[in-house]
Amino acid sequence: MLPRLTTWWTILRISLQERLVYRGDFALGTLMRFLPIVTQIFLWYAIFANLGTGVRITGYTYEELVVYLLLTMVARAFSSMPGLASTIARQIRSGDIKKYLTQPVDLLGFMFLSRLAHKLAYYIVAIGPFALVFFLCRNYFTHLPDAPQAAAFAASLVLSFLLGFYLEACIGMVGFWFLEVTSLLFVYMLFSFFLSGHMFPLDMLPQPFGEIVQYTPLQYLAFFPAQVFLGKIEGWALVRGLLVEVAWVTFFIVLSRILFHRGLKRYSGYGG
Amino acid sequence: MPVIEIENLSKTYRVYQKQEGLLASVTGLFRREHKDVHAVKEVSLKVEKGEFVAFLGPNGAGKTTTLKLLSGIIYPSGGTARVMGHVPWEREIAYRRRFALVMGQKNQLWWDLPALESFRLHQQIYRIEPQQYQETLDELSELLDIGRLLRQPVRDLSLGERMKMELAAALLHSPDVLFLDEPTIGLDVVAQHRIQQFLKKYQAQRQVTILLSSHYMKDVAALCQRVVIITGGEIKFDGSLSGIVDRFSGQKLITLQLAGDEAPKNLARFGQVVEEQLPKVKLRIDKANVPAALAQILDEHTVEDIVVEDPPLEEVIADLFSQVQTPVGND
Amino acid sequence: MSPRLNYFRIFLTFARNSIVRDMTFRANFLIDCLSTITWSLMDLGFYILVVFRQTSQIGKDTGWGEWEFYTFLATTKLINGLVQAFFMPNCEEVSELIRTGNLDFALLKPIDTQFLISLRKIDWPALSHIGVGSILLSISVWHITHREDPAQITLLTGVLYLFYILCGVAILYSLMISLAATSIWLGRNESLYDFWFYITNFSRYPMEIYSGRIGSPLRGVCTYIIPVLVVVNVPARILAQPLLLRSDSEAKWLPLFTAVAALVCLALSRWVFYTALRSYRSASS
Repeated sequence: MLPRLTTWWTILRISLQERLVYRGDFALGTLMRFLPIVTQIFLWYAIFANLGTGVRITGYTYEELVVYLLLTMVARAFSSMPGLASTIARQIRSGDIKKYLTQPVDLLGFMFLSRLAHKLAYYIVAIGPFALVFFLCRNYFTHLPDAPQAAAFAASLVLSFLLGFYLEACIGMVGFWFLEVTSLLFVYMLFSFFLSGHMFPLDMLPQPFGEIVQYTPLQYLAFFPAQVFLGKIEGWALVRGLLVEVAWVTFFIVLSRILFHRGLKRYSGYGG
Repeated sequence: MPVIEIENLSKTYRVYQKQEGLLASVTGLFRREHKDVHAVKEVSLKVEKGEFVAFLGPNGAGKTTTLKLLSGIIYPSGGTARVMGHVPWEREIAYRRRFALVMGQKNQLWWDLPALESFRLHQQIYRIEPQQYQETLDELSELLDIGRLLRQPVRDLSLGERMKMELAAALLHSPDVLFLDEPTIGLDVVAQHRIQQFLKKYQAQRQVTILLSSHYMKDVAALCQRVVIITGGEIKFDGSLSGIVDRFSGQKLITLQLAGDEAPKNLARFGQVVEEQLPKVKLRIDKANVPAALAQILDEHTVEDIVVEDPPLEEVIADLFSQVQTPVGND
Repeated sequence: MSPRLNYFRIFLTFARNSIVRDMTFRANFLIDCLSTITWSLMDLGFYILVVFRQTSQIGKDTGWGEWEFYTFLATTKLINGLVQAFFMPNCEEVSELIRTGNLDFALLKPIDTQFLISLRKIDWPALSHIGVGSILLSISVWHITHREDPAQITLLTGVLYLFYILCGVAILYSLMISLAATSIWLGRNESLYDFWFYITNFSRYPMEIYSGRIGSPLRGVCTYIIPVLVVVNVPARILAQPLLLRSDSEAKWLPLFTAVAALVCLALSRWVFYTALRSYRSASS
């Protein structure tokens, strides 16, 4: 236990150091990531402009929509796992994964902890640019969540981190069965970008699409947390949403374990 | 008229201390620490048509930089040069069609395609007449023995075969001047030998002017009559090969591994004891005396291992410098 | 003795080599095409399913109704397809060439260096953008010529449209190659490509949406200083003609400005490229 903890602490320290050294570039890069949202904001303004003032589109006012887009950025900071699946796939392809057959090291556990460390380091340094942007847009925040809502929001973010991690880990482990995972991954990224609600609130979709996306776990990566914050989902529906999210997370944790064990077995079956 | 004329050619690089992070970069915009690296210092040289000249020198001596200056890849800080009447760094298209540069361990051929496809592209870019192209290709294929490899993807070839392809590509347009930058680096002995043989034949046939840079003595010994030694960006020696050959092949370096706790018995009578770290002993013995000396050593000692080799190149050059203080003309 | 340099034929050889290479990775090729098409469908889906169910026009009185906007979208795809297919793989490779020192080989060839660097590789799957764009364009154009107040599209319109698409490609290319050339001075620059992505993001929407205190200056900068906004807007407007609804002078001389801007950008980028080459240091292995 202790050696693992010290390893984790080391990773955290190093990631933090890395980011702090380049903090200028890093801050600039983080700010630049908000640029596409700028165009989206203008676009939505133009869309709303044609409808008159104070109109709601599927229940969203213009201000709420802007806040929504900003919140998806926050959610993305939690749920996006850049390079996770491709790293796993690459380790499988190169044969590095074999060492987990002989060594008592838990690949998933290790990667999870290192991701956690990286994310924490990221948050510490990214909080500056994010705070700046949110401050500049403070006029759009017409409604702030109360305590229970805020707690639910925090919970949904943590869950989205878990979901994002284990979902991508499972995809990466498909590499045990199919060699060319990168292309599959790319298609997944495309779908997840739209279906997780990054571009627009998923409840704007007409039926039957609106129904369909309810059944995917992707909505929890961005759409659901934003909903919670905006107070669009509350009471019993909120609790149910969180429970379903927990169920999805559990599902992917279990799946990842199964895939890992089966995959290793299959891999060792090939010998050398 | 000399084919290559270089006068007081210089290239200086300003190297800035790398700044980390944005804040440091911003202050760095106003005041930066820098160092001037003189890669080439006032080099002057004349090469006639058909000569095969070697640039010899340790890493970082300025050999590659000089060749790149002559190829027009980089701009000089000072001095002039003319190759076949052209100023290299003006990069006239007419000039680029008349010379070729081959760099060891650097590939220009399309990786996933057969070499033949890259050659065809070459033909178009260099505007080689189809018939001329085919003749040259056939000739080169035979000389280099690459005929059967032409249709294989370049990535499937061995290092030596790839080098031969690079050479072929460079010679397709029948250049009048050939610059070779460490063409045999990283190759095994057999491949090195083959390329050396090829270059010898090719040069003899076509009277191409060749500048070869290397830090392998064997390349130089096999091919060149004239050797230019460059260190620290300056020419330290420019003369015939025999002058240097006599010097370095005059002695051999012998490394003995004595058995157990054998004590060396007055080895100094055979030559100069360079290093003694039992059970290893290094000796410098005049070439002529080597067989006799070895016989006697083996007779008097129990020896586990013997290595007989030429003194290392850096030593030879260092040797040379201790004797040559200023650049000398031809021997 | 020697035939004239036939740049077009050399370009065809580049094209052929790229196809041969792509075909050896057939599965990747198909999946690349598939992902391009998927992306386009998703993007389109956003507008069909969400935006235009809520509003009939983007922006008040801008003239960008549903089918006009799809014309705009199709134009975006055509231009992006051209840039991504012909120039992006090459510009991306420039900083790699500089880093490894393999740019040397390009400099040795007796051919215009910028030509060689810019067109050596072709990303064939990216042409599926053009496929999707063309289909979308045909359908949209049919719709806007059959609406109540039909758009007037003549042969001249078509020619001008193609001309301004080329201008748009020229402007984007110039921006791209200039950024790539700066890697001679700046070294590795990943954030440069992010920068590229974010800048061109602005070009994907009608100019009219940029208004107000922040919007107007932004629009000015992106039109006259870094002319990304004119890239898609001008050809799209020529076809979809919301021009008729706007009587301000800008609409009239914007096309002229665009043509001039394209030439200036090309000239400027060439200058930047060749100036950068003078500082090339040629890394050794």
